[in-house]
Amino acid sequence: MAVKFDLNEREVWDGNYAASQALRQADVDVVVAYPITPSTPIVENYGSYVGNGYIDGEFVMVESEHAAMSGCIGASASGGRVSTATSSQGFALMAEVLYQASGMRLPIVLNVVNRALASPLNVRGDHADMYLGRDSGWIQFGAFNAQEAYDLALCAFRVAENHSVRLPVMVHQDGFITSHTAQNVYPLTDEAAKKFVGEIVPVDDMLDFSRPVTYGAQTEEDWHFEHKAKQHKAIMDSRSVIDDVFTEFKELTGREYKRVESYDMEDADVVIIGLGTTVETARVAARELRAETGIKAGVVAIRCFRPFPYDEVREALKNAKSIAVTDRSSPGGAMGAFYNEVSAAMYTSKNRPLVTGFVYGLGGRDFSIEEAKRIFTEQQAHADAGYITTDIQQFSGLRGPKLGFFQTDRS
Amino acid sequence: MQDLKLLANDNRGRSQLEAGFDLLGWDEVTQGSVLPSFDGDATGIANMKAEERTYSGYNSYTATVASWRVIKPVFNRDICIDCQNCWVWCPDSSILSRDKQMLGIDYDHCKGCEVCVEVCPTNPKSLLMFNEHADLEESLASWPEKKKKEKKSEEA
Amino acid sequence: MAITSIKNLKEFSTNNDRFEGAHTLCPGCAHSMIVRELMNCTDDNLVVAANTGCLEVSTAVYPFTSWDTSWIHIGFENAATAVTGAEVMHKVRKKKGRLKDNDAPVKFVAFGGDGSTFDIGFQWLSGAMERGHDFTYICLDNENYANTGGQRSSATPVGATTSTSVAGTHSYGKKEKKKDIVSIMAAHGAPYVAQLAPNKWKIMAKGFQKALETEGPCFINTVSPCCTEWKFDPKDTIGITDLSTDSLMFPIYEIIDGHELNILYRPKNVISVEEYMASQGRYKHLFKPQYRHIIEQVQKDVDAKWDLLQRREEARI
Repeated sequence: MAVKFDLNEREVWDGNYAASQALRQADVDVVVAYPITPSTPIVENYGSYVGNGYIDGEFVMVESEHAAMSGCIGASASGGRVSTATSSQGFALMAEVLYQASGMRLPIVLNVVNRALASPLNVRGDHADMYLGRDSGWIQFGAFNAQEAYDLALCAFRVAENHSVRLPVMVHQDGFITSHTAQNVYPLTDEAAKKFVGEIVPVDDMLDFSRPVTYGAQTEEDWHFEHKAKQHKAIMDSRSVIDDVFTEFKELTGREYKRVESYDMEDADVVIIGLGTTVETARVAARELRAETGIKAGVVAIRCFRPFPYDEVREALKNAKSIAVTDRSSPGGAMGAFYNEVSAAMYTSKNRPLVTGFVYGLGGRDFSIEEAKRIFTEQQAHADAGYITTDIQQFSGLRGPKLGFFQTDRS
Repeated sequence: MQDLKLLANDNRGRSQLEAGFDLLGWDEVTQGSVLPSFDGDATGIANMKAEERTYSGYNSYTATVASWRVIKPVFNRDICIDCQNCWVWCPDSSILSRDKQMLGIDYDHCKGCEVCVEVCPTNPKSLLMFNEHADLEESLASWPEKKKKEKKSEEA
Repeated sequence: MAITSIKNLKEFSTNNDRFEGAHTLCPGCAHSMIVRELMNCTDDNLVVAANTGCLEVSTAVYPFTSWDTSWIHIGFENAATAVTGAEVMHKVRKKKGRLKDNDAPVKFVAFGGDGSTFDIGFQWLSGAMERGHDFTYICLDNENYANTGGQRSSATPVGATTSTSVAGTHSYGKKEKKKDIVSIMAAHGAPYVAQLAPNKWKIMAKGFQKALETEGPCFINTVSPCCTEWKFDPKDTIGITDLSTDSLMFPIYEIIDGHELNILYRPKNVISVEEYMASQGRYKHLFKPQYRHIIEQVQKDVDAKWDLLQRREEARI
C-alpha cells in the first residue's frame, strides 16, 4: 500500500512536476524511461515516488528512448497502466516504436516536453518533435501551462484506456516555458483523481494465459491496408470520447477543455491560431490590441492536434477575415503542417478567409506580445485589402533580411 | 494404421496458408492485428494434447502447407523402435507421437524436408521418402530389406 | 517450475507442442527444432518475444500464428526490451494481486537471430542483461541475415561468402572474425550463459531448463544451420550440426556467474575444419588453391579457442 502524499489545495509546480504528480495519482504500474532534457524530471520524480513508497509501481531506466518505448509496449501489452516521458532527439529515436504502439492499439501515455530537433543542437522548446509524431497514430493533446499538463495527463489515461479507443496518447507541453516555470496548480485529491481515472481493464492481455495472444504479426498487401484503416477509424472516433472525458473533468473540477479553444472570437476579424504557450502570448496581445486600436483580434488554439479537429477549426474561424497560422517547426520546403491543415479546413468553409503562415519561435526563440500585435495588424491590412498583401509564408522574429515565400495570384 | 483423423481436431488443415483465409474488410479484422491462438479457455494448454485443444481459426495448426511437398516421408510401423529421433528433430511439429509411441506423420504440416529419414536409426529405416502421390500400401510393399553394412546413423 | 522430463527422448516426446506447424520456415530449418525444444522443456506459462528475422516473419503471418503462448514482436532490435517490459508488468500485477492466476509461474523468453543479437539489437540486449530482469534470451545463430537473403552479420565466420561479403577473384569472402557473443554476455555477469546445439538435444534441453530455472538474465547462443544460406541439402541439417560441434567450430559450453566455465560436449573424434567447410556451399571457394590458406587459418583459430576453453575450465576462471 502506497504511502500518503500530502497535497495542498494550491501547489506551486512546474509543468514537469505537475505531469509527474498526475502519473502518481493515476497509479501508473510501470514507467520505462530514458532521461532527456527538458522532460527528465517527470520520470525522475516518478522514480522518486517509487523509491519512497508513494506508489506501488515499477520504474525501469533503460539504455535509450527506443528501448523506453519498446519496454512500454511490452508492459502495456501485459495489461497494466503504462506511461513515460521524452523530448526532441529522444522522441526522434522513439519514432519507430511509436508507430508500433499505436498499431498494436496500446493505451500508453507519453508526456512530451516539446523541444527542437538538431541539427544544430538545441535544448529549447519548439514543436519539431510534436510534428514528427503527427502521423504516428497517437492522439496528441497540447497543454499551454502547468495546470493543463496535469489535467490533460489525467484525462489522457481515460481516453487511451477507453475500450472503444485503445490508442496511445501524447500530452505535449512546451520545453522550459511550461516544463520549468513554477506556476499555481490546483491538484485533485488522490481519491478524486483515482476515482476519475479509474482502473485499467486489460484488452488482449499477454498475462492472461487462458487466452494466449500474438502481438505484432506481419501483414502484407492483403491485410495491412485494412488494419491501418481500422486504426484511422478508431482515432477519428475518439473525438466523441475525448469530448465526454473533458465534460466529466469539467464537472469534477470546473476546468473546461475543448478540442479547439477560442478566445475573444465572438466578433473577431483577425485571428492567430496557435499551439502551446504561444496561445497565452497571443491572447494578451489580442486584448491589448483591441483596447489600443480597436482591431477585433481573436485567438484560436488547438488542444487536440490529433485527431485534427477539422470541424471545430472551421466552426471557430467561420467569421474570421484573415487568419495567421503559426508553425513552430521548420517546414523543410513546405508551407508548414499546421498551415496546411487549417487551410484545408477553411477551403471548405463558406467564407474562405485569407490564410497566412508564420514560421516562428524555432529553438526556443521568444514569441513576444509585440510580434503578435504586429501579426494581428498585418492580418487587418489583408482583411481591408481583400487579399494577402505580404508573402503568404513569412518568418517571424528572425534576424537578417526579411524572409518569406509565395504571393497571392492576382493576375 | 495411418488413419490419423483420431489425432486431429475438427478444424485442422482448413486453410491453405497463403490463399485460403477469407479476406476480411477493415471493420472485421482483429483490433491491433492481435491474433488469439485459441477459442475459449486455454488454461493449462501445455498439458492438453492437440486433439483436445480448441484451436482458433487464427492458429496455424488449422492451416496446411502440404502443397509445399513434392516428396513425402512414409512411416513403416513394423520397423520403428519408437526412439523419437524424428519427433525431436522434426522442424514442422509433424511427427505424431502419443504415449512414447510414434504413430505417423502429420501430412498437413510436413514440408517433406527428409530430416526424419536422415535421423532414423533403424535398419532398414522406418521412414523413407516417396513421391508425393505414391500409394501407401505400394510404398510399404516396396520397402527395402535390412542392409548388412548400413552406415551408422546420427545418434541421439 | 514445472519442468518436463528429459531423461530420454521417449519421455520427452510425451510433451504437447506449443509451437505449431504450418509456419513458413524453410523445410529443414533448425530454428524450429530449437524453438520446439525450448517450449517443450517446461509446462510453465510463457511470454515469448521475437526480434524481426526468419523466426518472426515465418510464425506470425496474419491471419495465422504458430504460437500457443503469449507472443510479441515489435521491431528488429527490441525483443529483449519488450519481454522485460512484460516481466516488469508481471511483477507489479502480481504484487498488486491483479493477475487472473496470481500464483501460476511465468517464464519470459526472447528469441533473436544472430543479426538482431550480434548487430542491430546488441544495445537492447546488453541493456536488458545489465538490468538483471528474470528472462532468457536465445539467439538462433545461423551466421547471416538469412531472412533478407543472406547478408553478412558480425556472426558470419571468416571465409564464408554472403551477399555482402562476396567471394570472388579478389576476395575469399568475409575477412573479419566472428564476434564472441558468449564471452560478451558472460562479461555482463549473467548468471547463466551457454552455447548449445540442436544435435545434442539433451544437452540443449538441460541448458534451456537451467536458464529458465535460473533467476536473472540468461543468454544462450544456439547453432542453427541454415540450409538456404549455408547451402546444403535440407535433410542434412542435423548432420551438418554434428559436423559443426565435432569440428569445434561451435564448441558446446556454459559459463555460470560469468566465471565458472564448463565444457558440455567433448567430441570423441574431432574432425577437421576442412571437413566441416567442405559440407557447405558457402565455403566452396576456399578449396581453390589461392584461398586454401584461409581454411588453415580458421583451423588455427578454432584450435586456439578450444585450448582457451579447456584452460579456462580447468582453472575455473
